[in-house]
Amino acid sequence: MILQIDFKAGKPVYLQLVDQIRYAAAAGRLRPGEPLPSIRPLAEELRVNRNTIAKAYAELESQGVIETLPGKGCFLKVNSSPFTKPVRDKLLLTEIDEAVVMAHHLQIGRDKFLALVQERLDYFERKSTQHDSAE
Amino acid sequence: MAHPAPVIEITNLSRRYGKTEAVNGLNLTVRPGRCYGFFGRNGAGKTTTIKCLLNLLRPGSGTVRVFGLDPQTDEVAVKSRLAYVPDAVAFYPWMTVRDTLEYLASFRAHWNRELENDLLQRFQLDPAKKTSALSKGQRTQLALIGAISPEPELLVLDEPTSGLDPIVRREFIETVIGAYQSGDPERRTVFVSTHLISEFEGLIDEFTIIEQGRELLSLEADAARDRFRKISARFAQAPALPPLAGALRVRQTGREVEILANGTSDQLMATLRLLGPEELQCEALTLEEIFVATDLLKKAKA
Repeated sequence: MILQIDFKAGKPVYLQLVDQIRYAAAAGRLRPGEPLPSIRPLAEELRVNRNTIAKAYAELESQGVIETLPGKGCFLKVNSSPFTKPVRDKLLLTEIDEAVVMAHHLQIGRDKFLALVQERLDYFERKSTQHDSAE
Repeated sequence: MAHPAPVIEITNLSRRYGKTEAVNGLNLTVRPGRCYGFFGRNGAGKTTTIKCLLNLLRPGSGTVRVFGLDPQTDEVAVKSRLAYVPDAVAFYPWMTVRDTLEYLASFRAHWNRELENDLLQRFQLDPAKKTSALSKGQRTQLALIGAISPEPELLVLDEPTSGLDPIVRREFIETVIGAYQSGDPERRTVFVSTHLISEFEGLIDEFTIIEQGRELLSLEADAARDRFRKISARFAQAPALPPLAGALRVRQTGREVEILANGTSDQLMATLRLLGPEELQCEALTLEEIFVATDLLKKAKA
């Protein structure tokens, strides 16, 4: 898994890492049970503070995306969310609302919006199966 | 959460040389486990401040505390817990690399041999070589080994990478992150003064910009990148710009506008959006760009 950071993105560096790892998991680049890079080599490679990586991993752990096995490192969890279904729905709705507002301002209509969502879902699914069959 | 006691606490520090005020009312607090950047132009008072931390200079007025202790009265207690890498490193020229490390280790209660060996190999330094035969880069590497092997709680770096080639600089920073910081993250604090800010960008979690002997800006790095933004917009026709609150600098060339925002990028983006731009972008400034922009900040304050 290749991680990249961009100081000009204006998003805290640890959150950039959280997003990328979540993305990699959704796209099948990182599969359940697979290890994440160890903190020290990753910090050296990205030349970021060790604490930044630790903070990103702690955040992913609290979101239930990864788990830490003492002495072994961090692994992608099998099925991840620690939240109940209503909470999960609500979390997703907040994100969807943002996209809906964005679509409104970009004058993207309902049909086009739904088609785009469909397309993205397919895209991730395809990527995910590609990674599976690549084994 | 209770704040742990600061590793460095500087209150109202002043120090003059003759009539020149080198440091003039500086305040600064460094918490444990952080990597703290100390930025300023030549002559801003960085090295004078660092010398006061190490009791190489006495403060004119104000207080300096390291680990809660006064470096003047508790010099040994303070120095046994920190290590210092200056910009120009001098060793006894007749000593070999090995002799030098033995000599440095003799002053320390603790010295991690394994770490020392790892670093010697990593830097491919020949222990039998005389220090007089080392290049500038190798001397800095040797100084870094001497500073990290005792595993101090505080690592003070004063322009550590200036004058080094890019590969040595890279290795230097990777070593600070890996070999030093990972040892015991809660208790490994770095205080680094540098001009080469972009090199240390990812490492720094908080910084102070010093200007004419006092702090001009102290911020968390993430908060700083959130606060200082560059907005670029292009319009169909050259726009008549309304008042732009919080704009540090506005540059307009015909249809194109570039604004440096200080904490008001959201409002400024909204204002520009109302003018119907063809293109509108917003990006964070890097710490180096923020440092350069502080010149504008100073003028805005004056």
